[in-house]
Amino acid sequence: MATDTLKSTTGAGGATGGLRRLLLDNGALTALIVLVIAMSALSGDFMTADNLLNVGVQAAVTAILAFGVTFVIVSAGIDLSVGSVAALSATVLAWSATSQGLPVALAVVLAIATGIACGLVNGFLISYGKLPPFIATLAMLSVGRGLSLVISQGSPIALPGSVSHLGDTLGGWLPVPVLVMVVMGLITALVLGRTYIGRSMYAIGGNEEAARLSGLRVKRQKLAIYAFSGLFAAAAGIVLAARLSSAQPQAAQGYELDAIAAVVIGGASLAGGTGKASGTLIGALILAVLRNGLNLLSVSAFWQQVVIGVVIALAVLLDTVRRKAGATPVAAGASGGGKGRQAATYVLAAVVAAAVVGAMSFLHSGSSAAKDQKIGLALSTLNNPFFVQIRAGAQQEARKLGVDLTVTDAQNDASQQANQLQNFTSEGLGTIIVNAVDSDAVTPAAKAVNKAGIPLVAVDRAVNNADTAALVASDNVTGGRLAAKSLADRLGGKGTIVVLQGQAGTSASRERGAGFTAGLKAYPGIKVVAEQPADWDRTKGLDVMTNLLQAHPDVDGVFAENDEMALGAIKALGGKAGKSVAVIGFDGTPDGLSAVKAGTLYASVAQQPTELGRIAVQNALKVAEGKKVTKSVMVPVKVVTKENVAGFSG
Amino acid sequence: MSNPDELLRIEGIRKTFPGVVALDGVDFDLRRGEVHVLLGENGAGKSTLIKMLSGAYTPDAGRILVGGEEVRIHGAQDSERLGFATIYQEFNLVPDLTVAENIFLGRQPRRFGMIDRKTMEADAEVLLKRVGVSVSPRARVRELGIARLQMVEIAKALSLDARVLIMDEPTAVLTSEEVEKLFAIVRKLREDGVGIVFITHHLEEIAALGDRVTVIRDGKSVGQVPAATPEDELVRLMVGRSIEQQYPRERADTGAALLSVEGLTRDGVFHDVGFQVHAGEVVGIAGLVGAGRTEVVRAVFGADPYDKGAVRVAGAEVRRGDVNAAMAAGIGLIPEDRKGQGLVLDASVEENLGLVTLRKATRAGLVDLRGQREAAARVAGRLGVRMAGLGQHVRTLSGGNQQKVVIGKWLLADTKVLILDEPTRGIDVGAKVEIYQLINELTAAGAAVLMISSDLPEVLGMSDRVLVMAQGRIAGELAADEATQDAVMALAVSTPTTPTHETEATRGH
Repeated sequence: MATDTLKSTTGAGGATGGLRRLLLDNGALTALIVLVIAMSALSGDFMTADNLLNVGVQAAVTAILAFGVTFVIVSAGIDLSVGSVAALSATVLAWSATSQGLPVALAVVLAIATGIACGLVNGFLISYGKLPPFIATLAMLSVGRGLSLVISQGSPIALPGSVSHLGDTLGGWLPVPVLVMVVMGLITALVLGRTYIGRSMYAIGGNEEAARLSGLRVKRQKLAIYAFSGLFAAAAGIVLAARLSSAQPQAAQGYELDAIAAVVIGGASLAGGTGKASGTLIGALILAVLRNGLNLLSVSAFWQQVVIGVVIALAVLLDTVRRKAGATPVAAGASGGGKGRQAATYVLAAVVAAAVVGAMSFLHSGSSAAKDQKIGLALSTLNNPFFVQIRAGAQQEARKLGVDLTVTDAQNDASQQANQLQNFTSEGLGTIIVNAVDSDAVTPAAKAVNKAGIPLVAVDRAVNNADTAALVASDNVTGGRLAAKSLADRLGGKGTIVVLQGQAGTSASRERGAGFTAGLKAYPGIKVVAEQPADWDRTKGLDVMTNLLQAHPDVDGVFAENDEMALGAIKALGGKAGKSVAVIGFDGTPDGLSAVKAGTLYASVAQQPTELGRIAVQNALKVAEGKKVTKSVMVPVKVVTKENVAGFSG
Repeated sequence: MSNPDELLRIEGIRKTFPGVVALDGVDFDLRRGEVHVLLGENGAGKSTLIKMLSGAYTPDAGRILVGGEEVRIHGAQDSERLGFATIYQEFNLVPDLTVAENIFLGRQPRRFGMIDRKTMEADAEVLLKRVGVSVSPRARVRELGIARLQMVEIAKALSLDARVLIMDEPTAVLTSEEVEKLFAIVRKLREDGVGIVFITHHLEEIAALGDRVTVIRDGKSVGQVPAATPEDELVRLMVGRSIEQQYPRERADTGAALLSVEGLTRDGVFHDVGFQVHAGEVVGIAGLVGAGRTEVVRAVFGADPYDKGAVRVAGAEVRRGDVNAAMAAGIGLIPEDRKGQGLVLDASVEENLGLVTLRKATRAGLVDLRGQREAAARVAGRLGVRMAGLGQHVRTLSGGNQQKVVIGKWLLADTKVLILDEPTRGIDVGAKVEIYQLINELTAAGAAVLMISSDLPEVLGMSDRVLVMAQGRIAGELAADEATQDAVMALAVSTPTTPTHETEATRGH
């Protein structure tokens, strides 16, 4: 609203003056333009129609979520649940359309109803239960995520084909997600600007008590506001699932923070009363341009997060300075103080530009060397030593072979991985190596890579339903089976054990778990007394194991689906580890191997991640040069115990 | 220029805000050991001027001289270093810290990096004694009444060794007894050589305390006169015309009872309150603060619930605790706290005026924005709201104009029963008269007006009947011709139960 007011007072500015005002009035727009200019200066691949459409697609989900959150933030609330609600709605859609056999149209209605219902529950808790919005929606964040895991039983569900078209393009070039984003944006602008409920949002956000005493039914309005947010979350969830052709129970994690950031970058105040649809769209675009550009520039995955954080802060800072500076010149005279602060805005904008350009040229490493072959490696995560070792192996090999290797980190988010593959495609790489977050969810993106004629090599995890020149993997199922065998042998075929599972819904967890269960069938004397997820994480492994020990103090063995969780379990077991309780891990990470050496970890089913990375790069180069490769390269897994640990290195 | 007694001189100060020239060539000077009263209507620019001295704003043009040398004040630190201390209407105290901590906030005496409570409290004790207030330095500020808060603020200013003390309407919230106490302190400070800038709307205080008066009108200083200047002359300077009649009540023909309240009770707050307001009538509610006046009218409007009783408008009962039912029956409320309850401060004049009629202007979910704008322009013109345009944020309007906006939104809704809670608090003489005239127009058009006010002359001057509340009950009713200050005050303190022990929070002059 603040900007509305200012604009209305500056009608007679002239064209150039008008543009200057527009930029001054809207710090976020200035930041976006600075960013776009910086990106196109740094990367020739940025300013192409294809890539700009990619940016649009990549912004779509965040933008749609953020539009919903805009309603909530304008009315001085907060909604942390949108990411979970998006995942839940998508899961409901896929589940009802496939497992329950509902007609697709009905399933879509059901998914949207789910989103609205979640919003209504939020609104009810806030209006009538008098819960702070932060807490009510935090609760919904957890409930929504949990329900989507319950419904999907932890596995992604494939979407019926007709829904997947939502992720395609219209007329061969216009991506449907962009269209949905634009339509939702227009709806948001209409609701905020013209409708009763929209105008009420500003009043409630500006001064709730004054709104109530002016006869606005604040409680009912809040119900509707959160329902709107839920509706938009459902729409975002459907678009997200359509892009991936599958509903992922773990999708959209942390997106609520992206959405909130987009709204605030767009000029809204968390204190309520201000905010616009156009601002939110710009905020979402800034985030998408940044991620896209950083991918194109091959900025290290770790530095990307630093840069994104800095740009978020700078964009909002620019807007704050703009507000101070932009306000003064409207008044009759162009006074000295006003000019000074206006200059300050320009200076700050210049600093932002310089910082962005500087940081990128500093951080983006590979461009200088003009090597013949460019290869991209899209990793699922770098949050785990196993994948860090894959990267290390790949980088070693790339250096040896003289290949320019770009690595991205999808942070276990299938949709972010789809974005990164898209960005690799627009860069026109020789080969793309993909370590899928999820074998099914990567399909649409992989198909697009196929279509662009770029060969694809899968590493560690298969890519389903798309052409891959080679799969370089170690066999998780076999590994699970081997783990069962060695643990059972160690216990003498008798005893009680607990299993620490990886993050629910990930393929590695499913496969290792399945292999382990199959392997245990041969040992009826072994009883699994508990199976609990600890999300691949050492701290969670410690907590979950501590809790399990309360219920089952006398377990004999622990199977952890990776070494990190095994190390956490060892911490929880204390002196018992390696003596009365045998712990077996998976992956053979350096920490895991030293625990094997020390005797606290009985064994680790070692994959050879460095080997995986190395072989993947070798194959990728061969493919790029048009040589033949074997379709499936299996890197052997080994059970590493104290006896053979000395001779083993990842 | 080189008067050794001169502490401060301001020459040709100018300050503009978006769309508004707040100050345009203001001159002012302050000598050692004088009380210089700054007089002007709300929105004249007094607050802007003192914010220049406290460093909140910097002037666009003009000079500020301290002890003959030009200075630039860029923030609170600069202001403090120059020996300026400001006591605002809204206190700058932290409720959950102790009195001593508040006095020395940010400057607590330290020993080995820890706060030295003993020294701090002893120092605070001395300062509190100097301002003559008996409050423990260890008391929490939250527990203090308004008058004591003010004394704590003064003690804080003294702790800064202020040479210039700026007081923004310090008496607005004090009882006459407390005002006397405050004056004694101010006189003592004056003897100590402190220069005091005193802002007030109460003309009688000028003669009692002031030495010189600078009058500001529309951002310009229009005159500097001795404090002994007659009140009429001061008013004329302040509003630019003479005000014939301070309370221009014109009685309308009284019709049938529009609002009738019967046996309204909320346990522990108000009991068995019953009265009627007829069409064309202004009924005033007088009483001490805490007598339950605001609580009763909020219950009548449905903003708060009540336990027993009934509210009827034109014979039809209004559902309890439901603002919308009250509105549908034609009741409107101008709340006591204008900024906190009446306005959306960061929204435009247009938005605020359209708030009550927003639902009516909605067709199929869409708001008729053009209709809203036209209606807002019409009512703003009728009320004479001084603004840069309908798009101006109400936060930047003066108090009187803000109040006009609050009243305006109810005018648009065709309110039959208008409840005004302290409608002229903090509003200057000129705007007050305009609001009284509005009340006249409303009653002439057949509306009923219920008005709470702590300003006795106002209640007596504007009401056709006066209800006096005490201790949550109606202590008596007086017709306009029998209502005098003495009669009202007698009822206000003559309570059916025990008399008030908390005299500090009371008020009345």
